[in-house]
Amino acid sequence: MKKNAERLLVVFFVGTLFLLSLLFFFLPHLRFSELENRFLQRPPKMTLENVLSSNYATEAESYVTDHFPFRDQWLWIKSVSEQARLQQENNGIYKGKDEYLFEKFLQPDYHKLQRYIEGVNTFGDNHTDVDITFMLAPTSVGLYPERLPWLAPSYSQEDVSEFVSNYLDNDITYMDGFDFLSPHASESIYYRTDHHWSTYGAYLAYVAYIEKKGWQPLSQDDFIIKEVSNSFLGSYHTRSQFHGLSPDMIEAYLPIEQVATEIFIADTNETLSSMYDESFLGKKDQYAYFLGGVHALMTIKSDLDKLDIKQDKLLIIKDSYAHNVIPFLTNHIPEIHVIDIRYYNGSIGEYMSDNGLKDVLYIFNISTFVEDASLLKLNN
Amino acid sequence: MVFSSIIFLFLFLPAVLTLYYCSPRRIRNLILLLTSLFFYAWGEPVYIVIMLVSTVTDYYFGLLLDKPGLSPVKRKCVVALSIVVNLTLLSYFKYADFIIENVNGLFGTHIPLTELPLPIGISFYTFQSMSYIIDVYRGTVKAQRNWIDFGAYVSLFPQLVAGPIVQYNTIAHQLNNRSESIELFAEGIRRFTIGLSKKVLLANNIGLLWDIISSSQPESLPMFTAWLGIIAFAFQIYFDFSGYSDMAIGLGLMFGFRFNENFNKPYSSQSITDFWRRWHISLGSWFREYVYIPLGGNRNGLLKQSRNILIVWLLTGFWHGASWNFILWGMYFGVILMFEKWWGLKLLAALPRWVRHAYAIVLILIGWVLFAFETPTLIVGYLSAMAGFNNQPLWNAETGYFVYTNAVLLVVLVIASLPKKQAFKANKLSLYHLVWYGFIFLLSVAYLVDATFNPFLYFRF
Repeated sequence: MKKNAERLLVVFFVGTLFLLSLLFFFLPHLRFSELENRFLQRPPKMTLENVLSSNYATEAESYVTDHFPFRDQWLWIKSVSEQARLQQENNGIYKGKDEYLFEKFLQPDYHKLQRYIEGVNTFGDNHTDVDITFMLAPTSVGLYPERLPWLAPSYSQEDVSEFVSNYLDNDITYMDGFDFLSPHASESIYYRTDHHWSTYGAYLAYVAYIEKKGWQPLSQDDFIIKEVSNSFLGSYHTRSQFHGLSPDMIEAYLPIEQVATEIFIADTNETLSSMYDESFLGKKDQYAYFLGGVHALMTIKSDLDKLDIKQDKLLIIKDSYAHNVIPFLTNHIPEIHVIDIRYYNGSIGEYMSDNGLKDVLYIFNISTFVEDASLLKLNN
Repeated sequence: MVFSSIIFLFLFLPAVLTLYYCSPRRIRNLILLLTSLFFYAWGEPVYIVIMLVSTVTDYYFGLLLDKPGLSPVKRKCVVALSIVVNLTLLSYFKYADFIIENVNGLFGTHIPLTELPLPIGISFYTFQSMSYIIDVYRGTVKAQRNWIDFGAYVSLFPQLVAGPIVQYNTIAHQLNNRSESIELFAEGIRRFTIGLSKKVLLANNIGLLWDIISSSQPESLPMFTAWLGIIAFAFQIYFDFSGYSDMAIGLGLMFGFRFNENFNKPYSSQSITDFWRRWHISLGSWFREYVYIPLGGNRNGLLKQSRNILIVWLLTGFWHGASWNFILWGMYFGVILMFEKWWGLKLLAALPRWVRHAYAIVLILIGWVLFAFETPTLIVGYLSAMAGFNNQPLWNAETGYFVYTNAVLLVVLVIASLPKKQAFKANKLSLYHLVWYGFIFLLSVAYLVDATFNPFLYFRF
């Protein structure tokens, strides 16, 4: 009798090992994980150099882990168990109140931050004839600290914004996201499951920028506001794998007076006629619906009535917070150049003189800005 | 490769089990040798040479010692030579840069650092090899004539990279006369599963808390957070290391080996003397057997014994890493042990049980501060935070967050650290046990699949 229980344990254990091992070999391996929104590890290459440097071993281990049978379900089990033990975060994402997910934001390294700001200042000094605006947006955790889990540590993004404002040269126009977002904090400015602002949040940024310019922004009534998706589970969900959240909705603001646009994507040498790529609405990262996701360099030309044009050209240096702002701006500026400095490696100064650009708008969110050193490339 | 990885569990282990159990008994040690070399080469494709050099020389030194008619002087030379070879390898790879740095610092010289990475497991396998040679020299075991059996002993993958340090005398017989069985195998599964879950579910998760707390400035830490942090570290290092030992012991059982225990509920200790009988037992026994007793142990009066204790704990500390804080950590315990030998234990015996326990825990926790931080500034800073000398409140909101988000885990950690009542000990395997082991195994796998944080603390040694 005693031995039977032991036999059973051995059979179960060894059986599980072999079964999962066989499934690993025989189930098809995906290249891309929709749930995690990333490319999975490719099979490692068996070369002498790779083997001796232990690269082969490291990659093989990631390969097996990435393609382990039922990977998505295992992730789900971990997430459930973490919540069951009252853990309020998973992989750096908090599960906040009102179904909001937040990225943990801790005190940034102010020395680094200062260097990034100096980079922006130097760029301004080198281009004194250029009109520069710097827009810095809080992320959702900055605007809604009261929605964080009980007692959860979080650093004030308002302090960061104030620091930037103090260090930025006076001839650069600083636009503090808190100023134009806070009055509308009770509305849906951000996605709950993604790190971006919603189209409404982007609209507020657009209004603030246009008013700063002294122009007349379009009112909400000038748009047909269309819900293009109600199944968006964004990057915060991807990282945390918290389950049981209701998905976000994505809106598109389509101007009633339509403007024809032509988008040239320099990375791939493609020309498109729409700023919206609907194919992404069926994928995990639906935010790429706006402008088709990240491109290092693109130009957007819009066919505006000559009489309405107050400014011919604009250069936007940005992270992905700009993606849903840019479509609004095409209603005012006929030629917009967009550089994602994280991926663009050419000289920006040269690019500006080549294209006669005299007006620059930076759009960044605080979380990218404090952590991404790519702004240091500005003066290359 | 570490045991707590998907590739080990679902590719390496099934492959080794298949090879091992499909082979006739006489070639099973060869299978273990080959698979162990593969296991080691996986993580150290280059430095495997060092392990092979150490193994091959000690194999021949062993044969030499066994030669009849070898004069006592020559025998002494052989054993000394073997120790020199092993300690040279260990010193060169582990301590060279530490020595160079200190020489440069003291004399203003500019000797370049070697900057060699530490070969995995070198602190463990050199100690095992030395135990073998010394045992043969003493005549407590016969030299192993079969190179396969000897190679299998040194490289045996369950204990190769992080112990327990298996002394040759405890395993010599098993190398050729072990019998695998369903009972042993089932027991092995249980031990392995417990070890895996200790490592993956307990150590890794509480390690995240320690990671956050230890990376903040000690001047800004409230007292309670500082204590919570070092408690988290104490749990992390215990469950990490004892989890690894459990996995090693469990794997050994699956192949019919019985290794000695390496931990015995160290946090239930009533004194520091007690703690060191329960913590990393195989290292303690090694130093006892090959350093403390040869130095005279406790036989030549209290003064000599105190000297011996200090030497052994200096070495124990230094074994843990080439850094002053480990030496400090060793000396700290050496001094406490000395004090306990003189009159401390007698004093403690008069105190209530909970006072003894509190005394031991506080001293152990202070010890972990010395262990965890490398620089005097951080050590002093953290100790001041624990003492409340840094002008911070006793606690803040963050302390509360850390406590309630880890409350469930902390309760589990405390329960798992306590000795179990005899009645609850799992002697007989019941259905309840099967479900329990299945549950913690699958849960551990889920955490491994999502492993972004899976370091092994004892890989540094």
